[in-house]
Amino acid sequence: MKPIHLNLAARPFRDYRPVYAAVIVMALLTAFLALNNVDTLLKYQTETKTTRADIARLEEQTADEQRNADTLAQRLRGVDLKLLASQTEFANAQLAERAFSWSELLDRLERVLPANVRLQSISPTFDKDGLVHLGMTCIGKTGDGLSATLNNFNGDPHFANAFPQSDAQQQGEYRFTLGVDYRPSIARRVE
Amino acid sequence: MIWREKRILLIVLGVLLLANTIFFFTYRVQYVNRLQDLDLKQEQTKARLEQAHRARITAEQQLAAYKKVQSDLQVLYTKNWATPMERLTALIDEVKKLAAASHLEPPSYAFSSSETKNPTRGSVGATAVGIAFTVQGTYEEARRLINLLELSEQFVIIDGISLAGSGAATDKTLTLNIRLKTLFRDTRTAAPTANKQL
Repeated sequence: MKPIHLNLAARPFRDYRPVYAAVIVMALLTAFLALNNVDTLLKYQTETKTTRADIARLEEQTADEQRNADTLAQRLRGVDLKLLASQTEFANAQLAERAFSWSELLDRLERVLPANVRLQSISPTFDKDGLVHLGMTCIGKTGDGLSATLNNFNGDPHFANAFPQSDAQQQGEYRFTLGVDYRPSIARRVE
Repeated sequence: MIWREKRILLIVLGVLLLANTIFFFTYRVQYVNRLQDLDLKQEQTKARLEQAHRARITAEQQLAAYKKVQSDLQVLYTKNWATPMERLTALIDEVKKLAAASHLEPPSYAFSSSETKNPTRGSVGATAVGIAFTVQGTYEEARRLINLLELSEQFVIIDGISLAGSGAATDKTLTLNIRLKTLFRDTRTAAPTANKQL
């Protein structure tokens, strides 16, 4: 008897189980990672909200500061510095001249001159470095008036480079001239 | 064969899985680094703000300093120096008054006027006026006059002093030559005005 082969299937038989298994695994993995990623993203947004807002605020402030600095720099460029410096230098020189104290000079001379020496004339000249050179004529009662005066000038820190020019006896008096540098408390500048 | 039949589904799932995996490894795993980067950016932004703030403050201070100088110059020129029309007679009266207060009466006064010489001062616009006189008196009177001139409200500079004795030891009378100097704002040029942009 010849066997009868009956095939009643509407479609060819396929074993899809490996495919479905792969799809399920991939879908589960994707879902797990997606959930995790969404959670991470939300967490990041929440945790960094303050910091990001702070950064935005700081950047805005920086931009404001830079704008203001630029405006000021522009105004500074409009200043005629050369003219201002020239005017200031001139004014300062005049104020320094005004500030020079003749009373202080005379006070110091009174202290430094020996008792037996009196000042007959004084003529100052002003150096650019603030030093004042004094040309003086003095009259001493005794012959050692000049050396005593020089010693006193040398011992006073406000005076320097005392140097005699002449010393002569006239009618019982000793007339001598000398030059000395004087450094005032406020230097007088000259041009 | 069966894989080919379901390839679209597999490709879609594969792409989604790949995208999520990439996101996971670049975002989730590097999460702490991202937070640190953000903190670092915050610090850098703060530093930039501090720098910009300092630059602005420096510019402000510089501008304020220039304004102050301009203002001081303005006061010096317009009030202290003023113009000869505004101050010359007051100055002469003041000198005479101070001489009288010191019991010294100058027999004569000499006046001179000269424009400031420095070429850069062409724009400064000041005129120097000199007053010279000779008085005779004691050393104390001369000191008093010098002191009064130094304390005067008027902008007067003692430009030079020459003190001479009579020569006789018993005679206390001194001859005092004084040269005074003052400055006036030049009427032909305006006082230093603040820059319009200041």
